[in-house]
Amino acid sequence: MLANASLMSPAAPGLAPQFSPEDVQIDIRNVGKVYGSKVEAPVIALDGVTLRIRRGEFISLLGPSGCGKSTLLGIIAGFQSATSGQLLQDGRPITKPDPSRTVVFQDYALFGWMTVQQNVEFGLKAKGMPKAERAEIARALIATVRLNGFEDKFPHQMSGGMKQRAAIARALAPDPDILLMDEPFGALDAQTRVLLQEEIARISSEAGKTVIFVTHGIDEAVFLADRVVVMSPRPGRVREEVLVPLPRPRTAEMRSDPWFVSTVNDLWETLKPEWQKGE
Amino acid sequence: MGANAEAGAMTAVPDSSAPAARKMPWSRLLADKSVRAGLGLAAFFAFWQAVTGLGLVDGFLLPSPFAVAQALWEMALDGSLWIHLAASLQRVAVGFLLACVVGLALGLVCGWWRSVSDFVRPVVEALRPIPPLAWIPITILWFGLGDAASYFLVFLGAVFPAFVATYTAVRGLDRNQMNAALCLGAKPWQLFWDVLIPASLPIILPGLRIALGVGWMCVVTAELIAAQTGLGYLIQQSRMLFQINNVVAGMVTIGLVGFAMSAILERIERRVNAWAPSERN
Repeated sequence: MLANASLMSPAAPGLAPQFSPEDVQIDIRNVGKVYGSKVEAPVIALDGVTLRIRRGEFISLLGPSGCGKSTLLGIIAGFQSATSGQLLQDGRPITKPDPSRTVVFQDYALFGWMTVQQNVEFGLKAKGMPKAERAEIARALIATVRLNGFEDKFPHQMSGGMKQRAAIARALAPDPDILLMDEPFGALDAQTRVLLQEEIARISSEAGKTVIFVTHGIDEAVFLADRVVVMSPRPGRVREEVLVPLPRPRTAEMRSDPWFVSTVNDLWETLKPEWQKGE
Repeated sequence: MGANAEAGAMTAVPDSSAPAARKMPWSRLLADKSVRAGLGLAAFFAFWQAVTGLGLVDGFLLPSPFAVAQALWEMALDGSLWIHLAASLQRVAVGFLLACVVGLALGLVCGWWRSVSDFVRPVVEALRPIPPLAWIPITILWFGLGDAASYFLVFLGAVFPAFVATYTAVRGLDRNQMNAALCLGAKPWQLFWDVLIPASLPIILPGLRIALGVGWMCVVTAELIAAQTGLGYLIQQSRMLFQINNVVAGMVTIGLVGFAMSAILERIERRVNAWAPSERN
């Protein structure tokens, strides 16, 4: 049992956390996204999303499929643009992809023609880093994700969990400020998923990065995040926010913490109707 | 390799598996792909020999494989075979290279920019069904009876498969892979050489192999009409001299060379695209 005072304090859903303006790394102001042309009926993917993310914060974007959480992540990454509203990173508007915001994809999106080592080196090569230096950094990152010995393997020679470890190392290589993860463990089996959750909990607190983690797994969202942002579908909106008082780094035994268990249950009860609608 | 290990295990257990071990070499030999290919070809020639040797088909309509081999041997000795073969190979090489440059470039541009492809593809799709044979009159009008006419016809035959393969490959690129490269800060050259090209090769290379095959067929067609050398010319000339053995010898050479070219390209493909799902079993 964790003897932590903060665990006793109830979570404050719906209340935005208070922090000073200079702490804000990503400022999402009233962002909307509409798909479709004049001919077809437009689809409102996001509607008036406002979210301020603190430097070093771990945010889970939780919601059923179709709630626009992946769209929001794509907009933060710079892959697509918002239809309305404003997106700022350290006060500057986000307009295109940038190595200060790297992405981990559900389908890994590793370069199949490159070895693990070459995949991890990709972002370093883009920076124009000399060969020896980038090889060294890549090896260290491969060790961080515990893939030592697999440097010269190709993605198709590895399991899904190992591929995602490689993809995480690749995303960490350019030393980004922000790590964007789009349902990264969605394609993995349950056991591998649990192991990688603990791994990302460890890596993210060690590296001290801001992380935005998109998921539809309630326990995963609560286990990893400092703050769970719950989204609702059609149109995609922020429905509520849950502050997670568990200390970092998160460890496996926190899954049986009473606060954790009851929060996951409560979230499931409130989200159930929406999930059923989405079926 | 697996079969070897198995055979080793067999010999380690002598009595019970002795009959099985004796059968091994045959089944192992038959499992080899190139042995199967050799047997298939041998059966084809044996059938051909049987049909002609037993007098079922007049030797003037279809010479026996031995007569053809003899004709080939004589042409090889007097050097005419090599001159014609070299002429054809040189033409197909030039025409194919031109087709690769144009087909790849146009395919890349159309695959990458949808608006460009909207303009270009209807033109390509309208030109594509016109067989190279139908181009021959206008080709002779434009280029006369020299090598240029053959280059142009090979180019016409090869450029469309090269274009379609490249276009399809670029169109089908994995959006997430491109996005991954972009968010890692990829420079345009890196996006092109390290992502776009290697990701497209599993589709482009088989397309180029088909293009080369079509080009090889076109060069013979061109030489039948608009050339003074080459394997097509050899066939045409032999026909007029009633040298049926040489006609078939020319055909056999065309077949074998085409087979060899495609086999070599397939080997290169396997090596380059070893990572791709389509190359694994």
